[in-house]
Amino acid sequence: MKALTANRLSDGEVVFWKNGVWVERLTDAEIFADDAGAGEAEVAARAQPTVVIDPYLIDLVDSAGFWAPVSYRERIRALGPTNHELHGKQAEGGGAVEALRQAHGAARSSGRVNLIRRK
Amino acid sequence: MYRYDAIDRAVLADRTAEFRDQVRRRLAGELTEDQFKPLRLMNGLYLQLHAYMLRVAVPYGSLSPVQMRALADIARRFDRGYGHFTTRTNIQFNWVKLADAPDILDALAAVDLHAIQTSGNCIRNVTADPYAGAAADELEDPRVWCEAIRQWSSLHPEFSFLPRKFKIAVTASPHDRTAAKVHDIGLLLRRGRDGETGFEVIVGGGMGRTPYVGPTIRAYLPSNRLFSYLEAILRVYNRHGRRDNAYKARIKILVAALGAEAFAREVEAEWEKIGPEGDVPAAEIERIRDAFTTPDFSSDPSTGDFEARRAAEPAFARFVRNNVKAHIRPGYGIVDISLKGIGETPGDMSADQMDLVADLAERFGQGDIRSTHEQNLVLPHVRLEHVHEVWKALDAAGLATPNINLISDIIACPGLDYCALANARAICVAQDIARRFEAPDRAEAIGEFKIKISGCINACGHHHVGHIGILGVDKKGEEFYQLTLGGSGAEDAAVGKMLGPALPIDRVTDAVEAIVDAYLRERREGERFLDTLRRTGDAPFKEAVYAEAH
Repeated sequence: MKALTANRLSDGEVVFWKNGVWVERLTDAEIFADDAGAGEAEVAARAQPTVVIDPYLIDLVDSAGFWAPVSYRERIRALGPTNHELHGKQAEGGGAVEALRQAHGAARSSGRVNLIRRK
Repeated sequence: MYRYDAIDRAVLADRTAEFRDQVRRRLAGELTEDQFKPLRLMNGLYLQLHAYMLRVAVPYGSLSPVQMRALADIARRFDRGYGHFTTRTNIQFNWVKLADAPDILDALAAVDLHAIQTSGNCIRNVTADPYAGAAADELEDPRVWCEAIRQWSSLHPEFSFLPRKFKIAVTASPHDRTAAKVHDIGLLLRRGRDGETGFEVIVGGGMGRTPYVGPTIRAYLPSNRLFSYLEAILRVYNRHGRRDNAYKARIKILVAALGAEAFAREVEAEWEKIGPEGDVPAAEIERIRDAFTTPDFSSDPSTGDFEARRAAEPAFARFVRNNVKAHIRPGYGIVDISLKGIGETPGDMSADQMDLVADLAERFGQGDIRSTHEQNLVLPHVRLEHVHEVWKALDAAGLATPNINLISDIIACPGLDYCALANARAICVAQDIARRFEAPDRAEAIGEFKIKISGCINACGHHHVGHIGILGVDKKGEEFYQLTLGGSGAEDAAVGKMLGPALPIDRVTDAVEAIVDAYLRERREGERFLDTLRRTGDAPFKEAVYAEAH
């Protein structure tokens, strides 16, 4: 499973793709089961350069009934910095936040690696 | 402090207006991200994991109370109520919105601050001894030269697009508090045989993925020839630096490839061509010297009840032992403010804490505040009779941790919690180690001990020159940490040696404690950790860390 993420141009906020618009919470994001749908969304997202910067796809795993990024880096992006638990999206708390905190997986996003290679 | 003149202020106003228009054009879609990114970076604006980050230059680590209050105001209005002091003596704001950035630059310019040349392949903020003008062992105040270098290098057309970034340090004390030997250029003020002052010139030090302690290419350069010599070094670098490979583009690679002697010959030949016309006139140096306000020192050597309180209050005595240093004038002390509260984020400071330090500097510190490359602050001129009151106020605000140069005074980069380049976190590792060594008696018994942590090989956390260096790496998709031993950023500069295989995050603090315990077993009277390590080699420490793995 995949989600599409980027940083919002106006404030740098981490955002996720949902049917052509951007939402702030991973729990609200569109989840792609197949590469074709994810790829089409990525192409569409790249056509919004005044809305977001550098959209890329991330891999997800199931964690306690929620979708969580495989990579540690992406979990920190989805939650906020681990040294300030009241900063970032994690400040809201709740089951989805806890599921992300408990998730395990690779430390780096495969999508991000591809992005770096492209640059 | 150096006082800006009308020209300085006009330059900043023009620059901010220019950036405001660039931001407007980007938000309107008139500039692409590829076009805009180098423009925002030239104004210190990075995109990190969660938001934009603005890196503000603190010129050679000197701040006035007015400037500190302005930083507090920015933290409250545009960030989340705090800022982060870095290993470059700058301050970063981690939660900046793009549309707010021009307003922040205006607020900075109003107090003679800016974010110019805090990014990009240019000459960055100059590092100075944070005890400059106060250290008992100082030859002269190096900040005059730092300010002259700042003015000379700011927006210098020939050196705005170097092969890579370029960092200069200046110190005038035999004890190096600037890490001069791991800068692109380190300038050590020396007294010449003729009684005049000059510089030992070190070129090609650095950290990152290829660390070097820089070699001396000139043992003594008369100070009136400094700028032509700097120009010669930078021209040789501009001509031969590896622009084809970003990983090999720093001057350290060029110096190592040519060899220090050959590099020095190239510089001397270029210097000959430039001649004295390339130097800054003495009158201009004097103008800059005069633009520094002189502290209003009292000639009264009395120390009030300083000694009595020190004898009566053990906690105050501990603070004095660790955080107060000898001042060049009788009756004064240098007060180190630790931004390494146990369990806190190294270098972080709240807006309220900034305001408090501004107040204390104004009331007791000649209006002078310094930031250090070890992510702490300094009040360089405090009368000893006032140190107790300063300590009480700092203590109430969580700023009086008596741990300067001790094991919990840890440098840590922002790491994977904020940085887009990091592979692993650094802050939480520092917090965990600090908690383990929280007991102040134990920390003092261990003595000078510098732990430095980086979340990636770019080494913003200076791990190469840590007595224990800790480097976060991505190993099979998990956060692992590589330990190095024996580094030093001081006058005995050295690059640490790798101890063994990287450790998972939950073994790092145990490994540090095993190293400390081995040191306490092995050390001889008066030895620092580094001295013991240099005498014994790393075998006892390797055994201590990896014994259970075999």
